[in-house]
Amino acid sequence: MDTLFGKVFNWVNHRLPIVNTFERHLSKHPVPKKVNFWYLFGALASVVLILQIVSGIWLMMPYENTEEGAFASVEFIMRDVDYGWVIRYLHTTGASMFFAVVYLHMFRGLLYGSYQKPRELVWIFGMTIYLVMMAEGFLGYVLPYGQMSYWGAQVIISLFGAIPYIGESLEVWVRGDYYISGATISRFFALHVVALPLILIALVFMHLVALHEVGAGNPEGIDIEKHLDDDGVPLDSVPFFPYKVLNALVGIGVFMIVFSVIMFFFPEMGGYFLEKANFVEANPLSTPEHIAPVWYYSPYYAMLRAVPDKLGGLIVMAGAIAILFVVPWLDRSKVASIRYKGIFSKIALVLFATSFLTLGYLGTVPVTESRKLMSVIGTVIYFGFFFLMPIYTSFEKTRVPPERL
Amino acid sequence: MRIFSLIILLSFSSLSFAAGGAECGDYGDCDEFKPQLLDNSSLQRGLNTFINNCYGCHSLQYSRWGRVAKDLDIPESILLDKLVFNPSVKTGDLMKGSFDKTISEEWFGVTPPDLTLVARSRGGNWIYTYLRTYYEDASKKYGVNNLAFPNTAMPNVLESYQGRQVLGCKQVPSFAKNGGVKRDESRNIITVEECGHLILEEGSGKLTVAEFDAMIFDLTNFLTYVAEPMRAERERIGWFVILFFVVFTALSYLLFREYQKDYH
Repeated sequence: MDTLFGKVFNWVNHRLPIVNTFERHLSKHPVPKKVNFWYLFGALASVVLILQIVSGIWLMMPYENTEEGAFASVEFIMRDVDYGWVIRYLHTTGASMFFAVVYLHMFRGLLYGSYQKPRELVWIFGMTIYLVMMAEGFLGYVLPYGQMSYWGAQVIISLFGAIPYIGESLEVWVRGDYYISGATISRFFALHVVALPLILIALVFMHLVALHEVGAGNPEGIDIEKHLDDDGVPLDSVPFFPYKVLNALVGIGVFMIVFSVIMFFFPEMGGYFLEKANFVEANPLSTPEHIAPVWYYSPYYAMLRAVPDKLGGLIVMAGAIAILFVVPWLDRSKVASIRYKGIFSKIALVLFATSFLTLGYLGTVPVTESRKLMSVIGTVIYFGFFFLMPIYTSFEKTRVPPERL
Repeated sequence: MRIFSLIILLSFSSLSFAAGGAECGDYGDCDEFKPQLLDNSSLQRGLNTFINNCYGCHSLQYSRWGRVAKDLDIPESILLDKLVFNPSVKTGDLMKGSFDKTISEEWFGVTPPDLTLVARSRGGNWIYTYLRTYYEDASKKYGVNNLAFPNTAMPNVLESYQGRQVLGCKQVPSFAKNGGVKRDESRNIITVEECGHLILEEGSGKLTVAEFDAMIFDLTNFLTYVAEPMRAERERIGWFVILFFVVFTALSYLLFREYQKDYH
């Protein structure tokens, strides 16, 4: 370390804990040595987050946050900005892929009991990230100011109006006007590009800090800290760097192949990632035949429509998200992983995921009587999964997980 | 993994009865259109048809003259002489249309929409079908109606090419309950009369059916291009990006496998 670089490095390291942090969180941070592909989605989510931030910054440069200019500026990006279309498709594909990997990441949590003690806070930070992401996605969807931006915003903002007493004033406060206008676009723009990303990054940081404090879980749902070597390092662990980083790199490669296929060959994804109606500029005088949210909100939209009363629908929808926060306390099982849980947990999880996917589909299509009935059944199953969890997890017969990974 | 496949299976089975409305109005399913964005002569013919028949009322306000000329290999001099009739228009200008929007609203009841993105909002199949399904209907303001888009406000601008089309009845094969075509004892197809079909009066238009379909194909092809002018480039670049990530994945897998030996 007598070279010039060494001297500079030492100088900095005495003032900033580079080596320490690197060792603590990467080269000496123990992670379970045997996990499966489900454990990749967290890393993928951070990759997409970075993609969204970088592409977002570049989109922001030519985007115009006014009622007259918003739609045209998006087409300007697509046509006149050099490789503007790459940046925009990165951002639109990224938005959907962000939700896709986060949903899979959350499902992994349910599958292997990642929320169980001592990871309750990791789960809660994660759920908060999900909540902020939903707001972030909604705000961003309004910015291109197409028909679906406008009418989607109309539907969502009018939900605030269902709140008793303060509803109507709240609606005006959110819109910044008596109807959706330039004021709405500019405030949504500020929130979408500054406020929520800051919160999101802070939450991701907390999610990771809390995770590194308690250590990552594993598909067996067992505590690897029980068997330590002489240095106090878990026997069933490997250092995060380079082993798991390389593992993640393979996952990122596969993910980016899928990402590129969508982005370069199916950017609209059959109308699910970019809705057809959003290629028409917002027109307050013409309601689209069928207003559907983007696919990642559609399960909740189906629940909203399943309840005839607007306030009731709002409560159900909010409840569906709120209940996810308390999952760590609903699960009373002695074991964490689905592999060792009983038959009831397995059936419940399959029914839950099925109802969520079915609701997701139902939220994207126009309502008919039979679909409405299915939405009601789906909603009941969704809530049943959580409400009955304390019962079926404490009474069912579980198997004993192995001691070691 | 078993749980995962079960979920997928259950979800799809619960959705199998879901049905949607017809895409092309009274016409039913739209006719299929497959764009050929690398066929420059088709795109040029489509542009020509558009400028001569549509641009009078419909703008392409997000697209620039020069970009279209460059992408379609049209020399600037030809563009300015044969397509841009207005001498004050520069090649870098947007194709804003040549029509006063207030007059058009008076004439048609609605402002003719900008068509830059129509191929993305309606889809190529719809445009290709819509422009071929006009029929005479004396009850309408302009004497025509449309199967794909009932009560359309647009007059049948291309009638002189296609000819007179009316709704009429014709013999169509009849189907058994199992979906097979019904036949009599001598294996001839049994037909029934069905009404509401488009019948073209032969020889009433300048073009044959095949020629007219080709003209609409080119026009739809052009509109598909102008809705997303970088689409051909997008797909070309896409292959290289995917190739890059395939190599990236392969190399990182080899490296990962090498390091994995440390703990296996």
